[in-house]
Parts: sequence; structure tokens; C-alpha cells
Amino acid sequence: MTPVPRAVVEVRDLRRTYRTSTGVFRRRSVEIEAVRGVSFEIGEGELFGLLGPNGAGKTTTIKMLITLLIPTSGTARVLGLDVVKDSREVRKRIGYVFGGERGLYERLSALDNLRYFAELYAVPPREQKPRIEALLELVGLKGREKERVEGYSRGMRQRLHIARGILHDPPVVFLDEPTIGVDPVGARELRATIASLAEAGKTVLLTTHYMFEADSLCDRIAVINKGEIVAEGTPRDLKSIVADKTVVEIETFGIAEETIEKLRNAPGVASISIEERDQAQVLLVQSAKGLELTQTLLAMLEGTTVGRVAAREPTLEDAYVALVDTAA
Amino acid sequence: MTGARIFFVGGLMSYRALFGWLSPWIFIPTFLVAPIFQILLFVYIGRSAGVESDKFYVIGNALQYCAIPCIFAMSNTIAGERYQKTLGYILATPAGRLPLFLGRSLPVIGNGVFASAFALSAGGAIVGIHVPASSIASIALVIVVTSASCTSLGLVSAALGLRVRETATLNNIVFGLLLVFCGVNVPLSELPGWMSFIAQGFPLTHGIEAARRLANGQSFGSVGGLIGAEALIGAAYALLGYQLLRLLEWQGRRLATLETA
Ligand SMILES: Nc1ncnc2c1ncn2[C@@H]1O[C@H](COP(=O)(O)OP(=O)(O)OP(=O)(O)O)[C@@H](O)[C@H]1O
Ligand SMILES: [Mg+2]
Repeated sequence: MTPVPRAVVEVRDLRRTYRTSTGVFRRRSVEIEAVRGVSFEIGEGELFGLLGPNGAGKTTTIKMLITLLIPTSGTARVLGLDVVKDSREVRKRIGYVFGGERGLYERLSALDNLRYFAELYAVPPREQKPRIEALLELVGLKGREKERVEGYSRGMRQRLHIARGILHDPPVVFLDEPTIGVDPVGARELRATIASLAEAGKTVLLTTHYMFEADSLCDRIAVINKGEIVAEGTPRDLKSIVADKTVVEIETFGIAEETIEKLRNAPGVASISIEERDQAQVLLVQSAKGLELTQTLLAMLEGTTVGRVAAREPTLEDAYVALVDTAA
Repeated sequence: MTGARIFFVGGLMSYRALFGWLSPWIFIPTFLVAPIFQILLFVYIGRSAGVESDKFYVIGNALQYCAIPCIFAMSNTIAGERYQKTLGYILATPAGRLPLFLGRSLPVIGNGVFASAFALSAGGAIVGIHVPASSIASIALVIVVTSASCTSLGLVSAALGLRVRETATLNNIVFGLLLVFCGVNVPLSELPGWMSFIAQGFPLTHGIEAARRLANGQSFGSVGGLIGAEALIGAAYALLGYQLLRLLEWQGRRLATLETA
């Protein structure tokens, strides 16, 4: 008899509200619904991405999964273990990494930070040394490991966080913006490391604001907005949302608000977003495939200084923008 | 096995991780010089007022001084994690809470013992008190027990640190309470009745009394009850602190206050 394969992470209708108060004298209690009924499953060895704008509820969801927050309602299981009832068993089997500079013992060296957590995660003493060596090598901190963390740069701290997160070789890993603050070459190495975790059979949940990162790494992605999942599927599935669109990128200099409005209402234009790049504003105009809008748009831009113009296939980022925009 | 390692090895490492005072520039003035000042101050006040003996003040203040490392350092085992934003990281590990937090008490007790023992010998030598050689070992034991019971009180403060940010303020108040209530510089019999009554429930009170009697040549057997009472009070605070720790950790996960508060 073969056991029914079950999801490694199972999240069912998970909710979490925060209660905070504002004001010093007349304190008013405010409820924030950070996560509002989220459900998803992650299979064994799968690399699952959770994408969404700031404040969407990604970190809150992860904190419930790693047992740091009790859900307001709903359930979550990791390897079949309930994150509230079997929290200690869950903790043994998961690793996690939060983006950011804090959360390390500043007065200890990287080596001692890792040694301490190796004790807390019950890594057998005999295995600690080779394991820590290998991890320092993996995250590129070899040679600097004896220095106190207080002198570490932001990226070095992030690398140390990652080493700590997988110190006990957990089968399930939660990575919350793991490459934040890491230089491009380092981030590429880290992405390779993350990919290798999944290849080694680990189940990974990743959040990131870098769409190309999600596109290149994730087997499946859920997009969360205002505490609710608005789309889920493979990167290709998500891109198909905008597959019938093309994107025209137009670099402009000092474009007026009215002109943007005019373009937005032009026939055939599905959506426009604007990216500020140095002196330039880059218009990203989505329109139905096959419509040759470029000339029309340029005609409407008479009087505005226009730089580079390019039409391209939509990317995951375009799909993400479309999803998060419509949900707003 | 893992519990034991977390208790001993982990306890020691976290001590290094959390305390800036392990530098001689802080350690010597705080733990070696300040208590001598406190001792001298009270000895000279006592002499000019003509009340208690030098020995009374040296022993009272030397023992009480262990409360500085014991309460502040123990309390900092949580407050310091909170400050460095490492609290979430350690609480999400599977480490048993008993070895995790009680292990942190061992180096703290050691620190307290060292501070009191140094204050007693250096202060005693400066002022010139005589303690019978036969009592030295028993007094050392009293110092250990008293440091442990003060550390237990520190554990209660540490647990409160799961809920509130500023436990240092609280610790200052506790230190002041101990100084006034526990017969450090004023014999319990001279304090208002309600104060000496409350003092029975504080750490230090019985330890100081035991040390004074030993220094005056009484036998170990005759102070066994006092030492037992000091140990019992310490155990009670340790239990309270541990239960509070469990409760507030759970509450923190429910109310999302572990990282904010
Ligand atoms: N401890 C807290 N107390 C009160 N509100 C909180 C707390 N933590 C998070 N929130 C609120 O919950 C919402 C979701 O926050 P969360 O950190 O989960 O977002 P996120 O998706 O991780 O965002 P980001 O991409 O910026 O990291 C936000 O509105 C945030 O202000
Ligand atoms: Mg976040």
C-alpha cells in the first residue's frame, strides 16, 4: 500500500487580525485584518512563491506557519503537524529566514551565532563543525566568520541569516525576502542556493518583490493582495493572464498628467503604469495583442520629449501589476 | 542530552551574546568598585551614628550587591533578545524552555557569587573585620544560595519582559526594595512590622541573616533553617518565573506582542 501523497504545507482558510491602539489619551482600538481567509498547498519538493504588495499579509502568513503567531481562525499544517497543537514538532522540521539586518547577536561572531543556534536546533555536536563550515562556504562568509556581527554589512548579515535558517537541514524552509540587500552577484548565488534546496527535495516557500526572481525560481506562485489570494498557478499560468496583451514601453521626459490621462483613455489601451527612472518616466502601456498602437501613442505624445520606444512580450511583472491593480 | 547542552553550553553562549559588561571597562567599575563604595558609605554612616558593627554593614551590602548582576542580567536574558530582535528567532526553535532559560541563569548566578564574594573579602579587608576561618565555607554556600534566589526573582522580571519593553525600570525598583526591606542596613527588628513581614517573602533576607550569624561564629547547623528558607523562596520565584514565561510566551503569540510591545 502506498500512502496517499499529501501536501507538505496545507493552509486552510487562515485568518489573522491584529489589534492595535492609536492615541495616547483617548486610546482607540483598531483591528487590522492582515490575512483574510488564505488557503493553499505546497507539495513535497515544490518551490512555492508568495507574491504581493507591501502589507499584503505575506510575513503574517509565514509567522503563523513558523509558530510565532497563533491564527485568529483557520488551520495550517506542516508535514501533517498542526502549527498550533504540535508547534514543537513543527519547529524541529522547519527553517526560516526573514529579510533584514536585525535578529543576530551583534556581539558574537558569525561562527558563534551559528553555534548557538546549532545547539538550540539540537544539531549533534559532532556534526556541528562540518555543517557550519559548509554553510559558511555556501553563503560566502568563509574567512570573515570570526568577526563580530556588529561590523557586518547588510548583505553579510542577510547571508548569515540564510545560513542560520538551514543550519539543521530542515525539510521545509520559509524564506521571507531572502535576497533583500544582497548585491547582484551575491543574489544570483543565493538564487542558485535556493534552487538547490528544492532540488535536494526540500519544500520551500519564498516571498520576494523581485518578479524575475519568482519567475526563475518558483514552480508555483500565489499572489496575495490585502490578505486574500487573488491568483495562483505556475509562472506560465500567471503570465497567460496577460498573454493576449503586448506591452509598449515608452521613455518620456517630463510628461504631463493630462497627457497620461489622455493616453489611458485612448482606444485599445488596457492599462498604463509609470516607472520613474532617473530623469525619465517610462510608460508601460498594455494593450491587446495585434493592435499596433505604437504609432497612435507616439502621435498623442506630440510635444512631449520621447526617448527609447520598445514593444515587448508581457512578463510576470506585467501579470502581477494587472492582478494587483484590478484587485485594488 | 540536547537539554543538557542547551542548559550548559547554550546558557554560557547566550551570556556572552547578551551582556556588554563582559568588558573590563564595565565589569570592574560595576561589579568590583561600586559595591565597595556602597559598603564604605554605610560603614561610615553606621560608625558615626554608632549603631551596628562594621561587620553588619559589610555582610549586608556585600550580599545585597549580588542582586545587581542577578536581577539585571537575568532580566536581560529576555529584554536583551527583544532589543536585538532575536526573541522571535529563539522562540521559534524547538529548544525546551526549561533548559533554554534556566541555563541562562547559571552564568548569572556565577556573576552574582563573584560580585558578592569580592565585595565581602575586599570590603572586609579594607574596613578590617574578622570572620572565623571555620565559617568561610558556609558563608560561601550562603552566597551561592542567595545569588540563586535573587536570580530567580530576575527570572520573574525576565518573563515580564515578554510583555513589556522596559523591565530595567522595574529592576531598579526591585533593587531599591531589596535594599530597604531585607535588613541590609537596618535590622529587621528596627523596621515597621509590615515591612519585616513582607521581607520574609523576598530573597536575600534569610541569606543575609544566615551569613551574619556564621560570621559571628555560629555553627552551620544553627543556620540551616535560614539557608533552607532562602533556597525555598528562590525555588518559589523560579517556579513562578517559569510559569509566567510559558503563559506570556503563549499570550505573545496570540496577541502578536513578541516583536512589538
Ligand atoms: N504586530 C503587528 N501589529 C499590528 N499590525 C501588524 C503587525 N504586524 C503586521 N501588521 C499589519 O498587518 C498587515 C500585513 O503585514 P505583513 O507584514 O504581513 O505584510 P507583508 O505582505 O509581509 O508586507 P511587506 O511586503 O511590506 O513585507 C499590515 O497592514 C501590517 O501593518
Ligand atoms: Mg513582509
